[in-house]
Amino acid sequence: MIEKDNRPVNLNLLTISLPIIGLSSILHRISGVAVFFSFPLIVWVFSISLKSENSFLMLSNLLQNSIAFKAITFLILVGFGYHLLAGIRKLISDAFGVGETLESGRVLSWLVFGATFLMAVLFLFYLF
Amino acid sequence: MSAAAIPVEQIKTITMSIYRYDPTVDEKPYMQDLVVEIPTDKDIMVLDALHLAKQQEPSLSYRRSCREGVCGSDGMNINGKNGLACVTPLSEVLKRNKITLRPMPGLPVVRDLIVDMKQFFDQLEKVKPYLITKSDSPDIERKQTPEDREELDGLYECILCGCCSTSCPSFWWNPDKFLGPAALLQSWRFIADTRDEATEERLDDLEDAFSLYRCHGIMNCVSVCPKGLNPTEAISNIRNKLLTREKN
Repeated sequence: MIEKDNRPVNLNLLTISLPIIGLSSILHRISGVAVFFSFPLIVWVFSISLKSENSFLMLSNLLQNSIAFKAITFLILVGFGYHLLAGIRKLISDAFGVGETLESGRVLSWLVFGATFLMAVLFLFYLF
Repeated sequence: MSAAAIPVEQIKTITMSIYRYDPTVDEKPYMQDLVVEIPTDKDIMVLDALHLAKQQEPSLSYRRSCREGVCGSDGMNINGKNGLACVTPLSEVLKRNKITLRPMPGLPVVRDLIVDMKQFFDQLEKVKPYLITKSDSPDIERKQTPEDREELDGLYECILCGCCSTSCPSFWWNPDKFLGPAALLQSWRFIADTRDEATEERLDDLEDAFSLYRCHGIMNCVSVCPKGLNPTEAISNIRNKLLTREKN
């Protein structure tokens, strides 16, 4: 609004309910931002791994033994996995018009959450 | 309806936590808890409960008119979810004998539960929600086949209560640039109308980064619509039309 408006606006997000489809959509955005900002870190670690055989072994050792390194890797993988799955869901919705009713939208959101959970379990199993 | 006329055994008390703001007195809005006696022999609507609360607190302000879900005046945020107070049964929303009422989110509060709908109607005006024709008027009327008319089902029923647009995060952040679900549903209502002759111009008006494409499929609009309409689907239809049309 152009003119200064001093009237209050009810926009306390903690008091407004967010249905599952909305939650899924907002998490898609949040995971996208998180993955974007983790990208320099990934590139940096990747460049270290390519430097020499020793540095590669050092990273490989970290991934096997350091809880912090494992935890960060896990978070990045889950964030990326969720973002990828939710993105594919959105592409399917846009291309075929599925998931645009309340019921089908809910089912698709739960599917994305479920698949992410399975993926997270697999990552946990693999990393820890 | 007067609570005093009801036998005592058919009364129970509920707490109504209501957003209060009077610009002439209050610097900031606050929540006021009112203990209200309601009848138990029938299921009243949230609007009826508000009337009972107003008997206690006459300064309490809200819009209402038809009290049957047709005029779209009493849209408000009921326990965090937008809806029409007049068609929302109290029994469906009472939680531990409590209900929380706030004004619809995102629009400036005029007083208590009343918001200034100007931004909402400004956006509606932009989609030109009326039939535009260029050809000469026929002798009697512009006709449609029953099948063409069916295309408008689920679109013409909108009562412009504002529940959808004020539950949409994209509308909260860009109320002047993103048209919002209500206006876009009306936009599709006229694009889909076989009698309308301004489809290309209507589509041209929507082809920017904000007007239409700010919809991210959050679908809060669909989940709150008191008439059970689906703006997300309408928006998707417009998007497909924009993507598949032959550019001149």
